[in-house]
Amino acid sequence: MAQPMPPRGGPPNQDGSAAPLATSGPGAVAAQFAASLSKAARSFTLYAPTNAVVRQFLADYQARAAAATASADLVLDVQPFELLRQGEAVYRESDRERSLAFRLFRDGVRRLTFRTGVPWGELLAFLEILAVRYVGVRQQEEDVITLLRKGEFKGIGFEAVEGFAPEEDNPEPERARRARRAGRGPPAGFDTPFPLLPPPGPIAWRDVPVEALASLQASEGPEDLAAGALRLAGLLLAEAERGLVPLREVLGLLIELRDAFIADAALAPLAELAELAGRLPAGPLRDELIRSLGDPRLLDAVLAAVPPGSTRLPSEALRLVPLVTAQAALDLLASEGDAGRRQVLALVAEARLPADAGAIVERLATLDARVARPLFNAITTRAPAFTAQAALALLDHADENLQVASLQILGSAGGEVPVQRVLRLLDSPREPVRIGVANLLARSGKAAAFQSVHDALVGRKGCSFAEADALGSALARLDPGRAEAVVAEWLKPRRGLLKAFSGSRQDDALRAAGASALAAHPAPEALARLEALAKEADDDALRRHCLAMLARCRHQGARHG
Amino acid sequence: MDELERAQSSLGRALGRARAGEDRELAQRVREGGENLVQLVAGLLKLTRIHSPDNQAFDAPVAELTRVLATLGEALGPVNLVTVEDQVYLNDIRVRIDSRPGAGGLGAELQRHNTGGLLFHSPLTGPQVRTLVKGLASPPAAEWPRGTLSQWLLDQGLDAVELLGIYRFQATRSERAPPPRTPEQLLQLLLELVSESWNHLAAGRVLNPLPMRRALVEALALGLDAPAFWLGVPDAPPHATHAVEVAMVALLVGRRAGFPAGLLQDLGIAGLVHDVGYLSPAVGEGPAALGRHPVEGARLLLRQRGYSEAKLRRLRGVMEHHRDQVDPQGPPSAGGAALRLSEDYANVIRLYGAKVTRADALGAMLKASGRLYHPALAQTLVNALGRHPPGTLVELADGGLGRVAAPARDQARWDKPLVKRLDPATRLAIGPMVDTALDGAVRRALPG
Repeated sequence: MAQPMPPRGGPPNQDGSAAPLATSGPGAVAAQFAASLSKAARSFTLYAPTNAVVRQFLADYQARAAAATASADLVLDVQPFELLRQGEAVYRESDRERSLAFRLFRDGVRRLTFRTGVPWGELLAFLEILAVRYVGVRQQEEDVITLLRKGEFKGIGFEAVEGFAPEEDNPEPERARRARRAGRGPPAGFDTPFPLLPPPGPIAWRDVPVEALASLQASEGPEDLAAGALRLAGLLLAEAERGLVPLREVLGLLIELRDAFIADAALAPLAELAELAGRLPAGPLRDELIRSLGDPRLLDAVLAAVPPGSTRLPSEALRLVPLVTAQAALDLLASEGDAGRRQVLALVAEARLPADAGAIVERLATLDARVARPLFNAITTRAPAFTAQAALALLDHADENLQVASLQILGSAGGEVPVQRVLRLLDSPREPVRIGVANLLARSGKAAAFQSVHDALVGRKGCSFAEADALGSALARLDPGRAEAVVAEWLKPRRGLLKAFSGSRQDDALRAAGASALAAHPAPEALARLEALAKEADDDALRRHCLAMLARCRHQGARHG
Repeated sequence: MDELERAQSSLGRALGRARAGEDRELAQRVREGGENLVQLVAGLLKLTRIHSPDNQAFDAPVAELTRVLATLGEALGPVNLVTVEDQVYLNDIRVRIDSRPGAGGLGAELQRHNTGGLLFHSPLTGPQVRTLVKGLASPPAAEWPRGTLSQWLLDQGLDAVELLGIYRFQATRSERAPPPRTPEQLLQLLLELVSESWNHLAAGRVLNPLPMRRALVEALALGLDAPAFWLGVPDAPPHATHAVEVAMVALLVGRRAGFPAGLLQDLGIAGLVHDVGYLSPAVGEGPAALGRHPVEGARLLLRQRGYSEAKLRRLRGVMEHHRDQVDPQGPPSAGGAALRLSEDYANVIRLYGAKVTRADALGAMLKASGRLYHPALAQTLVNALGRHPPGTLVELADGGLGRVAAPARDQARWDKPLVKRLDPATRLAIGPMVDTALDGAVRRALPG
């Protein structure tokens, strides 16, 4: 048995070839219109609706429709793979997926009439019906006929075969189908007990005021659709909370609602959806719901609500924050050029604390300092458990002040110091960073870091007294034994020719470091050596440094009793 | 924003809503899943030439096919595979089979059984896949090969797969439009659709509302006052009869209340499926079932994927069809309110119709409006059904018996119904319809 198939090139001519499409006169105009309609309807499968190509297709469709209906109604007969105008093919496509004619035919449409002067609004609504049929993958709710009937068009008419079912090649008796019919029903006594009714009263015709029904009709209108949908979501979530409906069964619907609200840029319903989720008692149910509803596209809605030039997050957008991830905000932030929007995105990320602290920490090092700093500050106050992690992340930031701040935070946090990660910053081109590292290492007491600190000090050219002080102190605290030996060498008195050739800036730094090392050294005799050095020092700078160290020791001693 | 920009924006919103809940790669995943499905089915059929379907060689491809079907089912609900010679479509998406060795032969394999496609209502287990393969690989019956194979599959307990016929869509074929359905045929169709939907949902499948919508569009176009819609079908399953009665009363009241076409269609579908929650094993019995079946019904309907206003209305209608107008959580939706009224009317007749007249039942409900029912809708129902609602047993002025055959036609004839005369002995319909607005009158209404 040969399987029927669509015509390759339309109805065959007598020689078996396909008849050409109309190329002149009203037929050609109709063909151009049909082609423009088909292209415009299918364009959404390839391009975003906002794409310039779509605009071009729409303009073409509008112009072709005007031309095709300028002087008379355009009547198109729908065949399985063709559209005919007065028996002449004006459209042909044999691929079912692409074919406009096939989709119309299969749904039962047999004739379309575009009346002269058909308004653009109707042409657009008609295009919308076709486009939705092209892009929708799950299409069990409507077909072209039911959508056309709902559209209640005036300028577009259609004839349809109601209840059309295609004819089979070799129909068979439906015994298998019938066998399935003996089926399930409700239990005996369903819908009982019946509610108690009062004794019957008289009935009579009474006019029902239009306004008494108006609110009822309006409640199902497009304006109240979102409210109704949210009410449904609330009902289902309440049942989920009672344990009567598993959340996973509701989630799909809630995600559909979210996407529909996003498509409509309906910020208030989105916010209410977020709040519905937020109103659930804290726990896994709420967490799962919020996680599932999160979507980067929500950010577009949030940003759309920010007035141009504003750097503040509107209150309505703030309500959406539970459904937006900090990661998405930071993703956008990376490519956002507008300062105001950058600020808003940072505020969104900040508002996600403490929930998204981990995600923010991951990005801190790559963020602009003006964004990273307030986020870091926010983490320290709103997600303190992530403070050390954030500080560590900022060690990799290009901004010197942030690096220093993070070193200070790490120093005061009292936790384990990540020595290996910190050591490489001893080569930082910025002195405050190097000093911060030295101070942090000193606090760590890790002897393994001694050699790196030593090498950094010895190898540094033009080291300031401040840096030498930090590095020297660190050496004494990291490994007092080794420090004693190297310091002794640096502080060895210089005499004779050596004295004449010494006194370079590097030597001075080493001697200053040695003095600082003595001040920080735990051995009791170190302080006496520092006092002696202060007396014997042959240059003023070193003497002043020694005296400063002694003053620090006394101060610390007083502090520590 | 110019006209075209507004058009782009409006289309963008519509398409966004149509795609709501679908991830952006869904179509591509369906296409790829379809390619796998076709190749696996074709490959398994080829394998039967070497091994029996219970051979271990089938284990891996059967497991893979099970997985692919489950994935597709999760994304789509029913999975509809259609072959047209060298083209294959999965839920209307063209599946590219050129690069899949062996996949092109599936159409020919199915044709042996006069079959053009396979409709998977739910995922299959491994043994079910083997059963299907075994059936498809077996020699076709000489007579009615598709029906024979369908029956064999059912006998093996495999009812999740439907074998589809081979359909003509040929440009050269002259189509003979079927005659419009009569109200009797339409009523029969609605009853069948209700029964089928219940069976599908009971078998774990997804509701397919489109056939119901089409039938309701026909009914609305035909007019709701056709006697066939109101005089019942004696041999129909009670739950199907009840569902159609509720849907018809809801449509009548909705239309009189000025509901627009789309809302009416949605309301009708909700009416047809409002009680499906009783299918749930969790629904319990007695008063517990009464309280629980709306939410269980919503659970069954939630299986249908994809956003649509219609689905939202249906879900609300089903969830709220027993909700009082003064419920502390707020009144039901318009659809819920119309269903509440219609369902209670149908139930009071079903439960107490032998003892009270329909007018009295309506009178009691009218007195409860405001508390149980939306007051304007309750009065609208009274206006729509008439002084003698359809189905009312009446004694005519000439002493004969009759049954009111249609709702009130208008205000002037509100108490002058069309009556089907009954044989007093058998109470079966006899003779022509009596129009009491023209001839005769109703002397009194009777229970029953």
